[in-house]
Amino acid sequence: MSEVTVPAAQRAPEAESVSPGRWVRENLFSSVSNAIQTMFFSLVLLGLLRWVLGQIFSEEANWTSVATNMRLLFTYNYPTEQFVRIWFAAGALFLAVGASFAAWNLNPMVTVRRVGVALAGTGAVSLVVGLIAPDTTPSAVRTGFFVVGIGLVALALAVLKVVPEPHRRQIPFIGLLAGVAGVICGVLWFFPFGDYGFADGAPTAESGTIDSSTSLPVTVMFLIMIGTYLAGRALARMIDLGWLRRTMIGWWVIGPAFIVFLVLRDPEFDWGYVLAVDVPMGAAFALGGGALLYLLAKPSRSELARVIGALLVALALFHWVAAFFGWYPMLQKARFSFALIAVAALLAPTFAGERAARLRFAGGWFGFMVLFHWLLTGINTPSTLDIAAPPFLGGFVLTVSIAYYVMLASFPLGVLLSLARTSKMPIFRVLATTYIEVVRGVPLITVLFFFSIMLPLFLPGGMGISDLAAVFAGYTVFSAAYMAENIRGGLQSVRRGQYEAADALGLTTVQRTAFIVLPQALRVSIPNLVGQAIATFKETSLIAIVGGFDLLRIANSTIPNQPDFLGQKRPALFFISLVYFVVAYSMSRASRNLEERLQAGQAR
Amino acid sequence: MSIADQALTEEMASRRDMIVCRGVKKWFGDFQALAGVDVTVKDREVMVVLGPSGSGKSTLIRCINRLEVHQEGEIVVDGVEMSNDMRNIEKIRSEVGMVFQQFNLFPHLTVLDNITLAPIWVRKRARVEAEAKAMELLERVGIPEQANKFPGQLSGGQQQRVAIARSLAMEPKIMLFDEPTSALDPEMISEVLDVMKDLARGGMTMMVVTHEMGFAREVADRLVFMESGDVVEVGTPEHFFTNPREERTKLFLSQIL
Repeated sequence: MSEVTVPAAQRAPEAESVSPGRWVRENLFSSVSNAIQTMFFSLVLLGLLRWVLGQIFSEEANWTSVATNMRLLFTYNYPTEQFVRIWFAAGALFLAVGASFAAWNLNPMVTVRRVGVALAGTGAVSLVVGLIAPDTTPSAVRTGFFVVGIGLVALALAVLKVVPEPHRRQIPFIGLLAGVAGVICGVLWFFPFGDYGFADGAPTAESGTIDSSTSLPVTVMFLIMIGTYLAGRALARMIDLGWLRRTMIGWWVIGPAFIVFLVLRDPEFDWGYVLAVDVPMGAAFALGGGALLYLLAKPSRSELARVIGALLVALALFHWVAAFFGWYPMLQKARFSFALIAVAALLAPTFAGERAARLRFAGGWFGFMVLFHWLLTGINTPSTLDIAAPPFLGGFVLTVSIAYYVMLASFPLGVLLSLARTSKMPIFRVLATTYIEVVRGVPLITVLFFFSIMLPLFLPGGMGISDLAAVFAGYTVFSAAYMAENIRGGLQSVRRGQYEAADALGLTTVQRTAFIVLPQALRVSIPNLVGQAIATFKETSLIAIVGGFDLLRIANSTIPNQPDFLGQKRPALFFISLVYFVVAYSMSRASRNLEERLQAGQAR
Repeated sequence: MSIADQALTEEMASRRDMIVCRGVKKWFGDFQALAGVDVTVKDREVMVVLGPSGSGKSTLIRCINRLEVHQEGEIVVDGVEMSNDMRNIEKIRSEVGMVFQQFNLFPHLTVLDNITLAPIWVRKRARVEAEAKAMELLERVGIPEQANKFPGQLSGGQQQRVAIARSLAMEPKIMLFDEPTSALDPEMISEVLDVMKDLARGGMTMMVVTHEMGFAREVADRLVFMESGDVVEVGTPEHFFTNPREERTKLFLSQIL
């Protein structure tokens, strides 16, 4: 895809620089009623701010409870000696972020003027906070607010004065981000945070400087991200950007499997069992299935492919029926794999072609199977099923992991459901509609209880489901129903002419859906899908109720029960609200950015 | 001689039948859109279909590649009879190109991808080969420089020319045009008509629904006049524009000429 550049002559003239005084006059005090409204709402805002500050600097709020419990809030009781896993996974994640920024050149430019205004605004707010902070505020803190406020305003004025034409001169947004991240790293190195950990299952608290096991890795992560971005930009002229983008999309899809193996992995993981059972089975499905699909993808064998596909569907269904009645034991992974190979065999005629195309198809299956088995092995080994160990995953890592996997898994499920619901086949339509309406009619908490408490009771002998997998399955089932409804809205917006044009070209129904209808429908659904993703992210706080130690449970019950911080709920709750907000707001901004980019490419 | 074969020269009559419609009937609910249409299009023939709006001309050509399903009668395209068998339909559709009034380009794909999608996935061509062919076709319709733009960035006339190139990329034996210039600004009509004339001269079998009388007079081998879902009159352009037989034809022509 080539970048579209608009010639300068077609660009709208740049906005004139308006002086702050004029802006205030024109927007806040343009008429008497406007002035009154401005005054009134300013007073309300100030009152609100004062109340919040009162809460923050209240003598009852012990903020050491948050600072000391940082590790608890982020990773709960993940064994310290295994922390390298988390850092490795985080490193991989940051690497991907940096490379993606480089691949899509996600580096919007910001005018110096905007930076200056933002600095001045922050400084002004800091000054106001210093002024109206309640009497309980420590004087050092109050002075700090004044110093920061004056410093920022002075800096902003200096920048706007020194830089010529500040409304034209632009600086890369990524530079600003790097600055902010650098400040966070610096804070970790120089401010005391204290440490809270587990020793022999009992909590231990130490106040003091945070362990170098945290500040050093965070700094390294930050450098990795910036380094990858810069390297990616430097190499952008040498490598094929399209290739880099495809690679990055692939990485964002398979990355979770990678992270599951490194982070979510059960510490009691049984390598002997994995090597004896999981690896051979995965290899058999990947290699055998790949070979079968290679043979079936020959254009002259499309009839055979349909017959074998149908037989495999029957076989897969039979395995599920057998599982239901407990006729013979079989690992779930094998049942899922049979179902998947059946679907792939039915799709073979669609992807049939030359030798290269057949190899790609078979190779795709191979890769998919390897990842599929890897993922299920990581999350659902017999060792996770049998040992009633305390949860090894918690805090922010649990929240983010569950949210990410749920979004990743419920998205394809939602797409399939929405297609089924709009299908011409009554059986699919009825099944999908029933599923969606039933799930949407039931509270999420009920679904979670069902999966974590009731489902294991129904499962036949030899089958089991770990707590984590149960919660994940429950969320996915729930979220998929909403995803489906969002995507259905998008499907309805695709015009009839698009279907007709695809039909007139002789595309099959699968091809028409995959290449023409879905890409357009998904584009329209982006705002709703992101809304759904944000909701999923926040709803992970319900894990607390079915036994998980997520951010909310730690803030609401773990910290207030520590001997040092008895009853200290407010600071931790305030802190996790901030964490939720930062993540949700970033998602929202990212989606807006994505929409703008997609629209820039193709005006309708 | 049936109405379908009227006005054929002897040489034309000896050619192969590309499209045969016999007694084609179609209802939308209670409304009868086609009331037993008989039409034959010969190999390398250009047939223009005329008629007032609602006369069933669009419905007729949409039945020929099964965008609409006819309820009675038979349609045979290049020897393959249209039936409910999906494979027959896909075969016919890949042999019959269609150009729509509203272009119906895929807005999320570049011009080049619009053209190469079907050859790659339906005809199983290699991408390089398909792209070379697409560039050749864009050259032919006169807009090779737009290959990497999105449809939304092109003018209506350019979009319609891309749509024609997209159909041609499938190397169809027959091209159907459903009012290809009706949605265009006047100054863009001729650029599309030029491409179509070029195509007709190249020996493509074409069935065109249009109100462009100049085009019909210059290019068509035969014209068909339809009203209320029925063929009223078939004839050569000369016959139509000098001495139409039926009163209804005369009235229609006098209204639009």
